[in-house]
Amino acid sequence: MTISTGVTYRLKNFELKRNQMLKIENLHATVGDTEILKGLSLEINAGEIHAIMGPNGAGKSTLAYALGGRPGYDVTAGSVTFTPLPLAGGAGGGQTSDEAPPLTPPASGRGTDLLALDPHERAAAGIFLGFQYPVEIPGVSNLQFLRESLNAQRLARGEEALSGAEFIKLAKEKAALLKMDMDMLKRAVNVGFSGGEKKRNEMVQMGILNPKLAILDETDSGLDIDALRTVGSGINAIMRKPDKAVLLITHYQRLLDEVKPDFVHVLAAGRIVKTGGPELALQLEEEGYEAIAEAA
Amino acid sequence: MSDSVKTSDYDAERKEMNAEAQEAVDKASAYEFGWSSDIEQDFAPKGLNEDTVRFISDKKGEPEWMLDWRLKAFRMWEKMESPDWAKLEIPMIDYQDAYYYAEPKPKEKLGSLDEVDPEILRIYEKLGIPIEEQKVLAGVEGARKVAVDAVFDSVSVATTFRKELEDAGVIFRSISEAIKEYPDLVKKYLGKVVPMHDNYFATLNCAVFSDGTFVYIPKGVKCPMELSTYFRINAENTGQFERTLIVAEAGSYVSYLEGCTAPMRDENQLHAAVVELVAMDDAEIKYSTVQNWYPGDENGKGGIYNFVTKRGLCQGKNSKISWTQVETGSAVTWKYPSCVLNGEGSVGEFYSVALTNNYQQADTGTKMIHNGKNTRSTIISKGISAGHSDNTYRGLVRVGPNAENVRNFTQCDSLLLGDQSGAHTVPYIEVKNPTATIEHEATTSKISDDQMFYAQQRGLDAEAAVSLIVNGFAKEVLKELPMEFAVEAQKLLAISLEGSVG
Amino acid sequence: MNAPLPTRRDESWRYADLKALEPVWAKLTGPEQITVPAGETVSRQIAELPVIDGVGMIDLDVTIGDKATFILHVLAHNADYGRIQVRATLGNGSHFELGGAILGAGKQTLEIVTETIHAEPNATSNQVVRSVLADTATGSFLGRINVARHAQKTDAAQSVKSMLLDRGATANAKPELEIFADDVKCAHGATVGELDKQALFYMASRGIDPVTAKKLMLQAFIADAFVSVDDDAVRDAIEGKALEVLEGLS
Repeated sequence: MTISTGVTYRLKNFELKRNQMLKIENLHATVGDTEILKGLSLEINAGEIHAIMGPNGAGKSTLAYALGGRPGYDVTAGSVTFTPLPLAGGAGGGQTSDEAPPLTPPASGRGTDLLALDPHERAAAGIFLGFQYPVEIPGVSNLQFLRESLNAQRLARGEEALSGAEFIKLAKEKAALLKMDMDMLKRAVNVGFSGGEKKRNEMVQMGILNPKLAILDETDSGLDIDALRTVGSGINAIMRKPDKAVLLITHYQRLLDEVKPDFVHVLAAGRIVKTGGPELALQLEEEGYEAIAEAA
Repeated sequence: MSDSVKTSDYDAERKEMNAEAQEAVDKASAYEFGWSSDIEQDFAPKGLNEDTVRFISDKKGEPEWMLDWRLKAFRMWEKMESPDWAKLEIPMIDYQDAYYYAEPKPKEKLGSLDEVDPEILRIYEKLGIPIEEQKVLAGVEGARKVAVDAVFDSVSVATTFRKELEDAGVIFRSISEAIKEYPDLVKKYLGKVVPMHDNYFATLNCAVFSDGTFVYIPKGVKCPMELSTYFRINAENTGQFERTLIVAEAGSYVSYLEGCTAPMRDENQLHAAVVELVAMDDAEIKYSTVQNWYPGDENGKGGIYNFVTKRGLCQGKNSKISWTQVETGSAVTWKYPSCVLNGEGSVGEFYSVALTNNYQQADTGTKMIHNGKNTRSTIISKGISAGHSDNTYRGLVRVGPNAENVRNFTQCDSLLLGDQSGAHTVPYIEVKNPTATIEHEATTSKISDDQMFYAQQRGLDAEAAVSLIVNGFAKEVLKELPMEFAVEAQKLLAISLEGSVG
Repeated sequence: MNAPLPTRRDESWRYADLKALEPVWAKLTGPEQITVPAGETVSRQIAELPVIDGVGMIDLDVTIGDKATFILHVLAHNADYGRIQVRATLGNGSHFELGGAILGAGKQTLEIVTETIHAEPNATSNQVVRSVLADTATGSFLGRINVARHAQKTDAAQSVKSMLLDRGATANAKPELEIFADDVKCAHGATVGELDKQALFYMASRGIDPVTAKKLMLQAFIADAFVSVDDDAVRDAIEGKALEVLEGLS
């Protein structure tokens, strides 16, 4: 099973070395005149899966958007340093790291000031945002959209663009992983998709774009139980790699049954108020956010 | 052996031409086709009077009846007034300050592209026209055949695949040739769809039209290849007045493409064309246009004034005429490709993308005149306004009292890029039969911030994101174009949008 | 009226009965000025046109103040040539609501002509016009929506539907948009058509005779125009009048 192999790598990686991929320090962000994030700090290492949970309005989506560089989400203070781990032999595109790759630790000071980049540059750097509400783009097919996106990213990284045939092969592979019909990929981006189909489509996109860090904003909402399992195993297969990391934003425990987090954080009032292991999610589910947030 | 040498020479030359073309493109930056060519030209004297008309007719070696027809039109035109109802601001046009005829020298009759003045061939290379053509000439397998008639200023310089078309019974000629070779056919249809007195610009065209294309598809013939005409205005201060006439007899089919470019010039140039289509029983004509006349610079200086009358007559039962246009060029566009649906069960279609940027103005749309029973029409119009431009859809759907069970569906969508442009929709619906079902929808939108961020988050920069979304917006229309044209049109949309993303 | 008699070249008069208009033109007065003060709501219902020599004309020039609302419901029926002409200029955050019905028979020419000027941001407008035309009557709606350059966040909608009962009747529609601002929601829909055959059949299958079914459908069609009347009694009055006129048509 794909999942178990993924887990092995993670453990291996833990034993190897902790390579810091994302470092958020004292992040403050406003939307309009309202300050939503009030000094959030978080560190994510390569090979880790982090879950952020919290009540409505805590700032979960704002964190995702601020990291993605969405206009209107203004960072007023703090820093975000992104240090993706390069794979020996090149990264990105259709490459999969199923064979445990030799890890090259980043040279010191090699991290990128993420906040200085435009949204598309952040994408090319390896950040993928799974949208809570994926956007419809009428008339543009998924395949066209993804091919242009992927090749724009590849060119930005100094890699060669994929040919049509290479791309289709990659798209087929990733669609199969998410049990998505290729016909869906020929349809316009998210147009006429159900809530669950949109979320699955996000994961297919993630598979194709092959990011270093995936920030998945409520990817579980709108999914029935079978779809949740498919999406969960998709995330594991695509992202549970020693050189990758995931930040899962969710309300509920149920996605975490499928994608086991290494760390669980509670976000309340714009700050992380508690951090723990997977057991914290269960505790939250039982006791509610309020109790935990207050206790913290 | 000598063949292969020739080929490689040709390749080298082609490369060089491409390099040169690229240079020209770089120079022209915003307008890709903004170069002019130094070809010796033979002009009519400047200005417009009866002598000009006689000069043109004489140059063409036309029969008497044609000259009489032209003179009648000219006298009519002198008494007419320029229409002012469109949402266009056009300075007074001085019709005396232009040349009405320019022809490249030398002008022997040309049998094939090989005989064309190399300078003209270079122009085609720059235009990117003959790619398909050359593939076929070079014997590339599987290349789709496209027969080309190229009109350079006032003269048709090359009509290709004549032999193959003739075998199929298809007549594909410059209109000047057709007047001499097929006078009866021309006489029968010329001015029958767009009458001489139809409108100011059409009447002017009748008087001074210089060249154009004539296509005749006999009964039951499916034209074996796409037919196309490339129009180019090259000479300075010259108007272009081409005339196209396509007749599809019962049960025949033809797909016709036209492309237009013009060099960058500071002054405005006039283009007033007339296109007439006739479809008999069960015949189908598909007419596609990619119009990229020089639009003027970013301050609105120069550019082509494009006044075009296009009309198709669905005379026969179950006949069909489909117009597809991608309009990105011209300083001013005034153009309403229309269908008169007389034949029972006939079908009219209009698919349009009009993109305006900088100070361009477009007032374009269609008329669907339903006279016959069970006639149907579809109108899909996509207007994109950027910069300081104005983009108007103007359309009429009319149902006559005896036209039973008419169906029309109209969708007009406007996309505004930036807050300095205008998008306007002026539909007229006039229905006199109770069994008609007419539906009209119009929307106006902009590219949402959500869409922009989503596309950027996937790695596209702002310009690529806008271009992708605009192409998606226009998709319904672009998919109606023949393949090669669709690709060309997509690129054109992207080029035309350059500088509009702030 | 001091102004010169309009001609067909005048777009907003292209479907008008100018012959009927000419003899009474001098007797007509200019537009009635209505100003809705900021924040207030004014409603007006016109169920009958004031008729001189067969010509009935209503001409309103409405200025709607910031955050104010003007609600107009009209019924065009009682004139050989009847015209309801409204020009509404909207202030910031204001709303203009129009519900209109055109019910024509015989040789009547009836029209509703609106010009909705979104001069300031954040204003909304909604126009619903339904026409039912019998015999050789002509019913026209000409509605122009104008959105000024800085009138961002405008939301303007028009819905125009016409039903012809007889061959010889004419429905004209010209729902026009003139838009100079990019962050707007402007849409119009216009249809001309017969009564839904499926609905008619559905009713027949439930035992409703064709004449009654047709009547019910037409009533529902016309009622669309008056849904936006707040006051039940007021709505009953104007809708009741419309249904009474409709009874005479079908």
